Order: sequence, then C-alpha cells, then structure tokens
Amino acid sequence: MTASSENALRSSVPLWAGLTFASFGAVMGLALSDAIDSTTAMILLIVPAALFFQTMRAANRAANNRAPCSAKGEAQQRYIKRVVVFSSAYLVAIALQVSLLSDGDPSTAARVALALLPAFAIIGVFWAIGRLIVEEQDEFLRMLIVRQALIATGFALAAATLWGFLESTGVVIHLDAYWWAVAWFFGQFVGAIANRIGYGTWGAL
Amino acid sequence: MKNRLRVLRAERDWSQQQLADRLEVSRQSVNAIETGRYDPSLPLAFRIAEVFELAIEDIFQREA
Repeated sequence: MTASSENALRSSVPLWAGLTFASFGAVMGLALSDAIDSTTAMILLIVPAALFFQTMRAANRAANNRAPCSAKGEAQQRYIKRVVVFSSAYLVAIALQVSLLSDGDPSTAARVALALLPAFAIIGVFWAIGRLIVEEQDEFLRMLIVRQALIATGFALAAATLWGFLESTGVVIHLDAYWWAVAWFFGQFVGAIANRIGYGTWGAL
Repeated sequence: MKNRLRVLRAERDWSQQQLADRLEVSRQSVNAIETGRYDPSLPLAFRIAEVFELAIEDIFQREA
C-alpha cells in the first residue's frame, strides 16, 4: 500500500464511521441476545468508542483539507467537539447505568436519573446537529446536512412504523423506543449515500 | 440552469479551491455549481458575479 492510499484510508470518514457502527451493533447484539453480560458489554463498548474518536479525527482532517480558513470549517469543528463531548457523556452514563443498576435495587429517583442521563446525552447530539445547520455558513453544505437529516428522519419513522405494526401482530419482538434514535443515526448513513449519489459528495456530517 | 463558471475560472487560471477561497465557500460547493448539480442562492450568485466582475446573466443562463 502506498503512503497516499494509506493516508486516504486513515482519513476515510465513511470507513471509520462504518466500523464504529458495526462494532457498536455487534456489542449491542451480543448484549441483547444475552451472549455476554452487561459488564462485558460495558467493557467492549470501548472498541466503538475508540473507533468513534478515530472517525471524529478523520472528519476533522477532512474539514481542514476542504476549507482551512473559512467559517464553514469552524462550524464543523464546533460540531465535532460537541459530538465528542456528548458521546463521551453517553458512554459514562451507560457505564454508570450498568454498574449502579446491577448493584442491588436503587430508588425510583435514582432509576429516573440513570435513565435520563444517556437520553440527555443523545439529545445533545441532536442539538449539535441543529446548531451545525444554524451555524454552517456554506449554503451547499447546509443543504446537504438538512437533506441528510430529512432522509434519516424518514428512514427512522418508516422503520418505527413498520416495526410497530409487525410488533402488534406478534411477528417481531418488542424493541425499546430508544432504538429509533439508533435507526435515525443509521439513517444518516443512508442520507450520506444519497448525497454522494445526487451531489457527488458525502456531505458534512 | 447553465453556467460558465468552469470557463471563467479556466480563463483566470484559478483552481476550484482558489475560487472557493475567494467566494468563502467549500470546494465542493464550487464543484457542485460548476457541474450543474446545485443552483446557488441569489446572494451567492451575486458574490460569484462580483468575483468575476461580470453581471449575473453573463455567468448564469436558463436552460434552453
């Protein structure tokens, strides 16, 4: 492998993002199927977390290469920092949830707090995407982000609707509602592919 | 909408990145406009016209 192709591989956001989601999905799959216990799942979550940081670094490199001194780059860098903060908070919240809920029987207030912590971290990522749309100065990139988010929303709503009706007829198992947020993030990849096909670029998320 | 962005840029020997820097947009934006995949807003069209020191209609034309 040449130095340039190695560098391109290191900077490939879709590759690292795909690996992040694949590893996260694998860990969640193992945890949900009871193949591993919650403590093991918590430890294994380090893998997608590390891949996620690599994704953010690759995205940062790509943003710097695109426009080193424009306001667009600044908006994306702020977005990446916010996502890193909320993703780290999410991992800490999940770790707390796993360790505290497995230790005895916490009070209702503690359960509510433990449930809301990861939820607020995910909501933080939604907020970061909203801020990126507001702060992005490049109208073409802003259009791509909006388009990607709309496709993700359509994907998640369609998936939730299909699953809901299948669940009501007893064909599929019950899923906790937070999985639709995961479906929405997966929909972002669908949106990125649609942007690539329609506009020749993966977009800015 | 058709445009003469690629020709005008070539006449000035500017790369897409150089034009993007002048317009304060991303290189992808310039590429998308040049290839006709994206029609710029009126404010951006005015900025493009200013950079090339031309009227908007000298750069952008309606499809026949």
